[in-house]
Amino acid sequence: MDIIVKTAGDDFSSRIAQMFETVIHQGHGSLVLVFLIGVIFGGIIQYTRVDKFEKIAGFAMLKDTIVPKMLFLTVGLASIGLYFMIEAGWAHYHIKPVMWGGLIIGGTLFGISMAILGKCPGTGPVSIAEGRIDVLVGAIGGLLGGLVFTLYYEDFFKPLMGEVAGKWTLPSFFPGHEHLVVLIFGVVVTLIAILIPKVEFFDEEDLKKLPECERPDLKEAS
Amino acid sequence: MSRLPWWVGGILMAGLLLMTFSVFGADRPLGASTYVPYFAGIIFDLDAEKYSYLKEIKNPGAWEGVLLLGALLGGFVTSVFLTKSFRISLIPTGWKKYKNRSVVSRLVWSFVAGFFMIIGARMAGGCTSGHFMSGMSQLAISSMIFGTVVMIALLITGKIFYNTKEK
Repeated sequence: MDIIVKTAGDDFSSRIAQMFETVIHQGHGSLVLVFLIGVIFGGIIQYTRVDKFEKIAGFAMLKDTIVPKMLFLTVGLASIGLYFMIEAGWAHYHIKPVMWGGLIIGGTLFGISMAILGKCPGTGPVSIAEGRIDVLVGAIGGLLGGLVFTLYYEDFFKPLMGEVAGKWTLPSFFPGHEHLVVLIFGVVVTLIAILIPKVEFFDEEDLKKLPECERPDLKEAS
Repeated sequence: MSRLPWWVGGILMAGLLLMTFSVFGADRPLGASTYVPYFAGIIFDLDAEKYSYLKEIKNPGAWEGVLLLGALLGGFVTSVFLTKSFRISLIPTGWKKYKNRSVVSRLVWSFVAGFFMIIGARMAGGCTSGHFMSGMSQLAISSMIFGTVVMIALLITGKIFYNTKEK
């Protein structure tokens, strides 16, 4: 029996098939690689527990600092590595433009929502995968947000976001000293990650399920 | 081990970012919010030719869609086998402690916050992954502005939305 995959239609299953097809043909890694990047991404987030409400909303309440510590460390290390990869021709810049309205209004809405939901669009799905129904409800809200944005993009959101002011990077303001700027930025951001005091807010419901020798709260206190 | 320390997570995440950026990998940044309007287009059966935004995000939306499927699998596997934290729950412990014990309140706020989070991310052109991690790693000014605005809004909301002083 032949398996026929329809990719020309516009029903649900053929549009999902079109998604895979688009990834195969756009030259940004094979389908398997993109999926694998996703698995590792979800795995790192889940294994470090930074998808938890207690970590993200906990940071908003300043009761937990694991999220900023990990984020700043990632940026500090990746910025130095990436700069030299680009120099060597192993990677390219993909700079997002400055659009004042979009960044300020969008960033404000994003920050408020992140504190309330206790997730962001990358950590949310990981929480859903570990059984958090409240986040699934948040995702349904997100899909409606995506729908509204798509429907009113031209008429409402695009004018609100404003014109592209420029695609700047920090080193471009210091011609001749690009290497130094990148190095200083990377080292300073890494130091910030290390120097942010480590404060943790544990979820009793999670801890209860672990044997005593594996409880991070007991291990680090002793 | 029931979880990785933050510094191991940071090193691994930096490695994953570099692999994604590299021409031997995906030759693009790692983002995780464009998939939402992409899936909204599929679920609500919007004609991709009629909406300019859907045309704009055709490629990144599909890329992140596949990434998301991988992230769901990765998160599920580690939650069941490594962190042993898989459980069905409606309300986070931290919400009960610092907000209220009402499931309805949590679900309504989740829905509203999810809605505005995606509007915000798409207006700014990125989220924690696309702007904060991928953008700041390229020393992009736009991502530094986004990061600063988000941090301020996050911390102010944390202060006024939750009753942190009571306990």
